[in-house]
Amino acid sequence: MDLRASLRDGLIAGIINVFLILLGLTTLIGEMVQSWFELESPTLGAWLLLLLVTVGAGVRAARLELKRPGWAALVAGLISGVAHGLLIGISLFITGTLIAGGAQLRQWLYQLNEQAVQMLTFGTSPAVAALIALGLVVGATLVGALLALVWARLGIRDSVRKGTGAVSRGVSNIPAVQSFAKFKYRQVIVFVVIAAVLLAAPQVIGRYWNYTMGTVGIYVLLGLGLNIVVGFAGLLDLGYVAFFAIGAYTVGLLTAPEPHGILMNVWLALPIGVVVAALSGILLGVPVLRMRGDYLAIVTLGFGEIIRILSKSDVLTDFSGGPRGVRNIGGPSLFGVEVSSAMNFMYIILLGIGLVAFVTHRLQNSRTGRAWMAMREDEDVAEAMGVFTLKYKLLAFAIGAAFAGLGGGIYASRNQFVGPEDFTLMVSINVLCLVIIGGMGSIPGVIVGALVLKGMPEILRELDEYRMLFFGALLIFMMIVRPEGLWPSKRRQMELHEQAEAPPEYHTATG
Amino acid sequence: MAEAVQTRPKRYINTWLLVRIAVGVLVGAYLVWRLWIILFVEQPYGPDTWLRFAISGIILGSVYAVIALGYTLVYGILFMINFAHGDVMMLGCFAGYFTLEVLDASGFLNRDVPSTIISLAVTFVIGMAVGTLVAIALERIAYRPLRMAPRLVPLISAIGASLFLENAAQLMFGAARHTYTNPDIIERNTGWTIMVAGEEVLITYTGVLTIVLSIILMVGLAVLVRRTKMGMAMRAVAEDKKTAALMGINVDRIIGSTFAISGALAGAAGVLWGLHMGIVYHFVGFIPGLKAFTAAVMGGIGNIPGAMLGGLSLGVLEAVGPPLLGIPFQLKDVVAFTILVLVLIFRPTGLLGEVLAEKKA
Repeated sequence: MDLRASLRDGLIAGIINVFLILLGLTTLIGEMVQSWFELESPTLGAWLLLLLVTVGAGVRAARLELKRPGWAALVAGLISGVAHGLLIGISLFITGTLIAGGAQLRQWLYQLNEQAVQMLTFGTSPAVAALIALGLVVGATLVGALLALVWARLGIRDSVRKGTGAVSRGVSNIPAVQSFAKFKYRQVIVFVVIAAVLLAAPQVIGRYWNYTMGTVGIYVLLGLGLNIVVGFAGLLDLGYVAFFAIGAYTVGLLTAPEPHGILMNVWLALPIGVVVAALSGILLGVPVLRMRGDYLAIVTLGFGEIIRILSKSDVLTDFSGGPRGVRNIGGPSLFGVEVSSAMNFMYIILLGIGLVAFVTHRLQNSRTGRAWMAMREDEDVAEAMGVFTLKYKLLAFAIGAAFAGLGGGIYASRNQFVGPEDFTLMVSINVLCLVIIGGMGSIPGVIVGALVLKGMPEILRELDEYRMLFFGALLIFMMIVRPEGLWPSKRRQMELHEQAEAPPEYHTATG
Repeated sequence: MAEAVQTRPKRYINTWLLVRIAVGVLVGAYLVWRLWIILFVEQPYGPDTWLRFAISGIILGSVYAVIALGYTLVYGILFMINFAHGDVMMLGCFAGYFTLEVLDASGFLNRDVPSTIISLAVTFVIGMAVGTLVAIALERIAYRPLRMAPRLVPLISAIGASLFLENAAQLMFGAARHTYTNPDIIERNTGWTIMVAGEEVLITYTGVLTIVLSIILMVGLAVLVRRTKMGMAMRAVAEDKKTAALMGINVDRIIGSTFAISGALAGAAGVLWGLHMGIVYHFVGFIPGLKAFTAAVMGGIGNIPGAMLGGLSLGVLEAVGPPLLGIPFQLKDVVAFTILVLVLIFRPTGLLGEVLAEKKA
């Protein structure tokens, strides 16, 4: 009987529950459940969340004792539950008493308004509420322990595993699926279907979704560019937003009436923006050629911040608009017709993605691509093998920057405005995250990553305040359960799972 | 690795040397010209103003140094950038804020001088304890499962942790900026005045407290790492985890205590920041965290004296740089990052970093 472990688990679960209350998640869930099921009070929903965590804690407490006779698991659950319940009960008692005494806790702990506390205390006096809470928590923990016991004794886990295996085998056994997998031109068919859907989609999804998906598309462009720098060449760049900004500002300054009044055609300004971004990529690349790993990361981060602060400062107001930014950036026109609706921009962005994805795809298995990958795996060895790392590093920076410049140019023209606040460090970090979440070095991975990272917050808009919180938690969770990304390249998946399957000596012999 | 450096193609070295010489000559000439103008032609500020800049730089720099130590400790052992370190500092800052509020409400804070000193001690202990706990929890949840993963994986996890902590703090404590309650005897912007060139220069109490405490923390850390058994174990783990484990060192535990120490330092830095700057909100750790990381890299990441040197010099250069170069103070971050780039061009492994960077970075 490991008393200390049960006690510790109970306290940790208690802390998690207190944390959930302080974050206001109980209030949120309570109100959601109330409105869905048209209940009279949100108390049920609020406690539902807490009790779910508690049942989980019970399962966990029992799991450690499963090899012993049945009562051991239940006792472990009881201990964990009492510790947990006491923690919750005491906190409720203190908070309830303070609120009843008229203390303004909200000034310090933002979510603890009177209503939120009432939700948890059932509207009774603090002492009674604490006792009820203790009872509820202990009960729920025991239920969890019992569940774990039943689960283990009846061998449910194995039968579930068999079931899912059978389903996936069943799908691949259907004759149609099998013959499709063997069909020679299946890639062509898949490609045509995807292209048709993409071409048709902007017509039907409406303005809002065109705009949103356009943003996702611009992030795909950025992601594909960073994918070359980080995914192919292995150069960790945390200041990638600088090239995005340079592309956007170039197009903006060339086509806007103020501050320079050049009023160039956007179709002409876009390639100029791309070239300027690529040149700045080389310019940044030169001083950091000798740096490796994290030194490179912080220097590029510094460059990104320098560009942003300069664009924000008063020094460059006459040149680039300073904190006001550049307004009234020109939209693209085709044969004299202005085509700057969200839908048309969606097509432009899709075109850009197609172009960039094609270039990336062709680069991937070329001599250049292989040189990058050799450099990524081991720079010294690559050099010894005759890879001229100086050239390939600069090439990676230049191409990555060019893609970001394209994204920036389209972004500027679409929003008709660029300002320094569009180019914060968070953009670089978001792009890096989407590349890694999608799967480093993989083109479809980048697209999936952008959809998840920039699309998901749109869907979670209901939980507005909480989405960045969930996003952060999701990043950690992803890295623990699936570090290779959602759609990894074959090579990378092999690398990440190599250690688990092959002994380490193998690694040095083959790699 | 030394052989590998020598086998580089000759062309490479020449290009690199050319870049270095060109940058060196340009920067050197520019600095000489600026110094000439500042000292003999324009003379925009008197010695008293320069002293003020320097003092504020040293105060800022010592906070950077304390935070940078946390980065460098973790980096030295795990070779990972603990991106959430600035947010640990933010939580320490909040813990200090709440402690001071409670002590102030109870009237103990300003009763007499000993009670104020006790209150301050309690505040620091609580701030450091919160920093420690958060850092340990962070290591357990977000980093330990990723010990074996490639280097980018823990970095992303750290970014996730940073976002999570920032938003959790915003949700729990609200988005408003809170003002720190200082004890009356070390009210902000009060202090000793000294006369320099006929002008009064204020040396704030909070500034002196900041400098003294950072020195104590730095010395304490140096003693801990150099003289104690745990420090020896930490150095062994930093050198080689496998061999350290074979020598009977519990590697997981040492990594845990490294995070604990770095969290305690961040918590103390948070309280210092609050006392001296006076404002706390959920984003307060971001900029100092970034700067401290810059400082750690500048000094040579993984190197403890390097972090101190990097922090102090970054703080001073940030304060003195803009007036010296005759550019607006808005651009002090540009100065900081430019200095970082220059330092790394001439010493790619940082000011004091030698062995480690070439080996692993």
